[in-house]
Amino acid sequence: MTSKFQQNIISKLSLQVASFQEGFKILANASSLRELGRNFNHILRGSILVVDLNLFYKKNKESPWEEIYVYNKNSKKFLDDLELGTNFLLVSAKRKSYKLRILLPLNDDSYFGLFLGPKLDRKPYSELDKIILQIFMQLLDNAYQAFNSKRKEKELIFSLNHRVVQLNSLIDTGIEISKLSNKKMLMELALERAASLTNASTGLLRIFNNTKMLSQIEFPAGSNSREILNSNYKIERQVEYRGLKYFITLANKESRMGYVPFDETDEILLEAFARQVLNAMENEFLHKEAIEKESIKKELSLAGEIQKKLLPNKMPEIEGYDLAGINIPSKEVGGDYFQVLKLSDGRFALIIADVAGKGVPAALLVSTLDACLVAYLEMQIPLSEMAKKINSLIYKASPPDKFITFFIAVLTPATGDLDIINAGHNPVLLLRKNNKLEKIEAGGIAFGMFDMGLPFEGEKLKINRGDRLFLYTDGIPEAMNKREEEYSDERMEKFFKSKKPKKAKTFIGNIVNDIKKFTGNTPQSDDITALYLIRN
Amino acid sequence: MISEFNVKAEQKDNCVILNTYGYINNEGGQKIVDEFSQYHGKGLNNFVLNLEGTKIVNSIGISFLIEMIEKLNDSNGKMVFTNLDPTIEKTFSIMGLFQFAEKANSVEEAVNAFK
Repeated sequence: MTSKFQQNIISKLSLQVASFQEGFKILANASSLRELGRNFNHILRGSILVVDLNLFYKKNKESPWEEIYVYNKNSKKFLDDLELGTNFLLVSAKRKSYKLRILLPLNDDSYFGLFLGPKLDRKPYSELDKIILQIFMQLLDNAYQAFNSKRKEKELIFSLNHRVVQLNSLIDTGIEISKLSNKKMLMELALERAASLTNASTGLLRIFNNTKMLSQIEFPAGSNSREILNSNYKIERQVEYRGLKYFITLANKESRMGYVPFDETDEILLEAFARQVLNAMENEFLHKEAIEKESIKKELSLAGEIQKKLLPNKMPEIEGYDLAGINIPSKEVGGDYFQVLKLSDGRFALIIADVAGKGVPAALLVSTLDACLVAYLEMQIPLSEMAKKINSLIYKASPPDKFITFFIAVLTPATGDLDIINAGHNPVLLLRKNNKLEKIEAGGIAFGMFDMGLPFEGEKLKINRGDRLFLYTDGIPEAMNKREEEYSDERMEKFFKSKKPKKAKTFIGNIVNDIKKFTGNTPQSDDITALYLIRN
Repeated sequence: MISEFNVKAEQKDNCVILNTYGYINNEGGQKIVDEFSQYHGKGLNNFVLNLEGTKIVNSIGISFLIEMIEKLNDSNGKMVFTNLDPTIEKTFSIMGLFQFAEKANSVEEAVNAFK
C-alpha cells in the first residue's frame, strides 16, 4: 500500500521524467567540468527554483577543492562543513548562507560538493525537492562518468594522433635530412625532431674520435650538457660512421605532471632517428664521392683533349724522307710526348719524351715541355744550351718525383745531318742500310732531376739513304703479357732489324700489331709512343 | 645561453595576439596558458596565436593549446593560429586542432577573422 504522500511524489516525479531525460542529455554533452557545472546549475534552477548554487570538485582526498560553478563568492568557506566519506550525503543546514549541503562520492575516488542557498520563493526545501535533488545528483554522477569516458576517449584519440604525427614526422625528417648537405644542420634537425616527438625536454648529440670529443650539439641550443647526461630520465643511442662515434642522448621526458621515464616507443623512435642520421651521412658521402669522380673524369677527359692537341695530328712532309709517328696513351691522360717541328731555317726537330708517371701531373709537365720547346727551338740556340735551360725550367716546375726523359734530333734534310741530345731517354735506334744497328745514348740526365748546371753532351750523326731511325718510349719494350713477361728490347730490336717496309707508316702499324699480339688481352700498362724516319 | 621560451601578448581592439618564441613544450605551453588566462579571465574571447618564432612543438605543448581552445569553445570564443611552420601546421592538422580553431597566413588576416 502506498501512502497518499508517496502517490503524490510518484505523480509529481512522473511529470518530471522528460526533464530528467533532457537534463541528462545536456549534462552528458559537457566537454569540461566547468561546462558540466554550468549546465547543472541551469537544470537545477528550473526544477527547484534555486539560483544560489555552488558546486565544487575534489580529484581525490589529498587534492584541493576546485570551484566548478559558484554563485556565492564566499561559498568556498562552506567546504569546512563538508566531511568526506564514501556515502552520498544530503544535509539540511539552518544557516543564512546555505540551506543544503551535499557530498557526492564518485567512482574514481573524486567528489562533488554542492551547497544550495535559499530557494527563490523563500520556502524551505521540501522532501520532494530533496528527492529531485538526489535524482539530479545521480544524473550528475552518470554525466560525470560519461564525461570521464569521453575524456579517456579524447586522450586515446590524442595518443593515436600523436602516433600518426610521430610516424609522419619520422618519414618527413628522413626526406628532409637526406636533402641537407651540411652535416651539422642534418644532425641539428634530427636531434630536435627526436626530442620533440618523444616529448624530451632536452637533447644532446656528441661526436667522438676514440675517446676525444670533437663537437656537440644541444637541443634547445645552449642546454647544459652535464645536466642532460646526469638526468635520471634519459635514453641514448650510438652510431659509428667512418671512424667517428655519434652519441645521441634525450633527457627529461615531459608530462603534464612532471618528468616521466621514456617508454619503448621512444626507444624505437630514437633508434630510427639515429639510423636516419647514419644513412644521411652515408648518402651524403657517396653523393660527394660520385660528384668528385664525375668531376675528375671530366677534368681528365678535358686534359686528354688538350694533350692530344699538343701532339702532331699530321706529320710534316720532309723531302727525301718518310716519317710516321704514333701515341697510344694507356690512360685518358698520358705522360708520353712526341713532336716534329719544322724550324724557320728549314731543319726539322724530331722529339720524343716520357714523363715519369701518368695522369694530370704528367700531362702538365708535358704541356710545359711543349711550350719550352716551341719557344727555344725558334731561338736557334745550341741544343746543349737549350737542354740546360729546359732542364732548369722543368726542375722548377715539377715535384721531386717527376722528371722527363727526352730525346731530340734536329735533321738537316738536304745533308742528313742529325744534331742530337739524349737526356736520359731510351737509346734511339739507327739502322744502317747495311743492317748495322747503332744505339744513340749520348746526352745527360733526364730533365727535372737536378738543376746543378750539369752539361748535356750532344752528338752529331748523319742519316744516309736507306737508313732508318726509330725513336720510342719504354711503353714498347716494357709492354707486358698476362704472364707478366715484357715485350723486351731484344724483341723490339729484332723486329726493327727484320721488318723494313717501304713506308714508315707500315712499320709503325706492324710493330703496334706485334706488341698487341704479344700482350693479348692484358690491359696496356704504359703509353706507347714511337717515331720512325726513313731516308729514301 | 639556453634558448628559453617566451610569450608576449598584445591587445588589438577586442583581440589578443599571443606571440611565441621557442620550443612549445610543458614549460612553453604553461606560459602560453598563463598569459591566455589573464586575458580570458577578463572576458576576452578572441585570440590569435602567432607562432612565427616557434619551429618546434611537442605533444605536451599541444595539450596546452587544446586546453585553451576548449576554454574558448566554452566561452563562445575563438582561436586563430598564424605564421605556422609547415611541420607544425601538419602536426596540428593531424592532431585535429583545426576542427576547433582556425588558421591564417598573417597576424593581420587572423585579426580580420574576428571582424
